Amino acid sequence: MREFFLPLLAGALAGILSGFGVGGGTLLLVYLTVFAGLDQRLAQGINLLYFLPAGLLALPAHWKNGYVEKRALLPAVSAGLVCAGLAAWAATSLEVRLLRRLFGGFLTVIGISELLGKRK
Amino acid sequence: MESARRDTQAVLSKERYKPLLFPYNKQEKGGVYTKREGKARYLLAGAAAGLANGFFGGGGGSILVPALTRLCGMETRRAFATSVAVILPLCALSAGLYLLRGGLELSAALPYLLGGALGGWLGGRLFRGVRLSWLRRGFGLLLVYGGVRCIL
Repeated sequence: MREFFLPLLAGALAGILSGFGVGGGTLLLVYLTVFAGLDQRLAQGINLLYFLPAGLLALPAHWKNGYVEKRALLPAVSAGLVCAGLAAWAATSLEVRLLRRLFGGFLTVIGISELLGKRK
Repeated sequence: MESARRDTQAVLSKERYKPLLFPYNKQEKGGVYTKREGKARYLLAGAAAGLANGFFGGGGGSILVPALTRLCGMETRRAFATSVAVILPLCALSAGLYLLRGGLELSAALPYLLGGALGGWLGGRLFRGVRLSWLRRGFGLLLVYGGVRCIL
């Protein structure tokens, strides 16, 4: 029971943030690796799959609100697909412990950037 | 419909979100991008998001939102919504590769998928009323904590 509902709850909370585009996926990754103690690569895979329904269901609302900048889509998605493919390939060949370290560095940089960013 | 648009514009013009990443922005200094420059910036933003998405299995949005707001000079709320649309196909590709190349079991992911679907749907609907700056602060704190735990 718990094994099912705790992940369900974590997924739902992260999903709300993901729907905002705030980085729910990043937070879910932190939960999976640091709190749930999952293997780094498994956590990353789960996180990728999880965003598919979360993003897909959030998108229509954004589209209807007129917040999606359509000009950006084609260039950003095409460049992104190439890089994502290469990076996913690299990540699935890498040693898991190294991957985890790199991930830690990545989180810290993003976190600091968010905390120290200017606000008006 | 008309009032909804005015409402949107009011919200957009009030919000200024400036993370440290990708600090250079010509528009903040009063300049304007040519069409070509703009496109190159979108390409760059997408590429950076793709790298994070594929390599770390997430965090594409955490890169893309700063990139869109600062590098491309997009309004904050638009950047959040647009990032969802851009990340989605990247996730599909990366998830496919992770599945093909091992280390990923669908059964372990299932509860997260169901929760994510519910949360995502809610998130999209609640988005208009949310205070973005508070979210960012809490988000940053958690990331630094998680990051340090992962490195150690």
